Amino acid sequence: MKRNPQAGAQRSAGLRLQMFSDADLDDLHRGTLEVLERTGVFVESDEALDVMADGGCRVDRETRVVKIPPYLVEDAIRSAPSTVRLCGRVPENDVVLEGGRVGFTNFSAGIMVVDPRTGEYRTSTTQDVADLARMTDYLDAIDTYEHAVEGRDAPETTLAIRDAALGLKNTTKCVGTGAMSTYDVDAIVRMGAAVAGGEDELRERPLVYFCECPVSPLKLTKDAAEVILGAARHGLPNNVISMAMSGGSSPVTLAGTLVTHNAEVLAGLVLAQLTERGAPTIYGSSTTAMDLRFAAASVGSPELGMISAGVAQLAQRYLLPSFVAGL
Amino acid sequence: MAALAGANLIYGAGMTESGVTFDYAQYVLDNDMARMVKHAVQGVPVNDETLAVEDIAAVGPFRDFLSLDATLRHMRTQSQPRYMDRRVREDWEAAGARDAYAVATEAAKQILEEHHPTPLDDGVSAQIDAVVTEAEERGRAR
Repeated sequence: MKRNPQAGAQRSAGLRLQMFSDADLDDLHRGTLEVLERTGVFVESDEALDVMADGGCRVDRETRVVKIPPYLVEDAIRSAPSTVRLCGRVPENDVVLEGGRVGFTNFSAGIMVVDPRTGEYRTSTTQDVADLARMTDYLDAIDTYEHAVEGRDAPETTLAIRDAALGLKNTTKCVGTGAMSTYDVDAIVRMGAAVAGGEDELRERPLVYFCECPVSPLKLTKDAAEVILGAARHGLPNNVISMAMSGGSSPVTLAGTLVTHNAEVLAGLVLAQLTERGAPTIYGSSTTAMDLRFAAASVGSPELGMISAGVAQLAQRYLLPSFVAGL
Repeated sequence: MAALAGANLIYGAGMTESGVTFDYAQYVLDNDMARMVKHAVQGVPVNDETLAVEDIAAVGPFRDFLSLDATLRHMRTQSQPRYMDRRVREDWEAAGARDAYAVATEAAKQILEEHHPTPLDDGVSAQIDAVVTEAEERGRAR
């Protein structure tokens, strides 16, 4: 039988959930702009305060509260790239973060492990850091390696640098690091550059990426600010992960939580873009609800799923790559 | 839900206990889950070939689709979990009745024994070690 071609049919590609309408997203966005302009965020680092003041934010040196005019937020959203490439030591492990592409990575910064060899539940060690990087290298559906656990058998002050070294040595996927200071960022960049063959080469093919967590509500701590500044100056991808707990460090209503969450991430984005226009930035989330009965974060809850889905949609509206809690 | 909303990097594989503990066996199981999710978000493409109206006519009500060319051609597009067991209970019991966690624990051990990614060149490794040593000395000096 002859089935002739069809003229212009609308087809779906992929399965998709749209939790928010355009009007919902507009409201969340406007609410966020209002919070950033009227309430502002606390910024602990002097250097970050300088960058933000020079960039046009209203900075109160005494309280360290920075109020960000809406045009600067809009400008930062537009100047950040909409595609971020996280590269592996081998090109087949490069992964592109953009639009609605769905990828996975491991949990990060655990402090205990269940050892498969002994069944034992114990403190994580540097050997675990190396072993989990190797496992990540093997597992086909995991796209990047996040600093999975802390090597707690070695000094804490150099933990981020040592664990990043173990990551670079033991996996050929992109290594997400847990830098906590300017010194950490610079050291990790030197290690990444050694593997890539130079700092320009590293910028071209980022083998490492950074992340930091603002403290909710509305605080960019010194360590978070230093990592944002450092990553931006080196032109390497950085993930701003807000980790609000609805009902505790953010409003109990999920829409309100998304507003403070959004304000924290966008404040980080503004700092990154004022530091270096075009700095690759990932819109991150580890936000969830606080179970008010136990005063504990409820992970794996319906709230977490809805918040992560909402965050993904907000990031898409901003044409920014997203990183959320999920699996 | 995050995947259905198109999140680009979804983290959490291997985690238990609200983020305190990393479980190697759980990581292996979560990898399977991640692969299944990536499969599901691709949805169901609809076109002349996938509608398979001709094949349905050829098979009719009395035969099956197992031996069709299209079945062979598209076999690899099916979801393929490695550790989620799709056998019936009888076969599972005959094979030792091990639950998913036990199988994943074995798999994790085997991966740790056998998988060794290409090491960095010695020179590069030495440069990395030098950065770590320098940081440790600085840490001690403070």
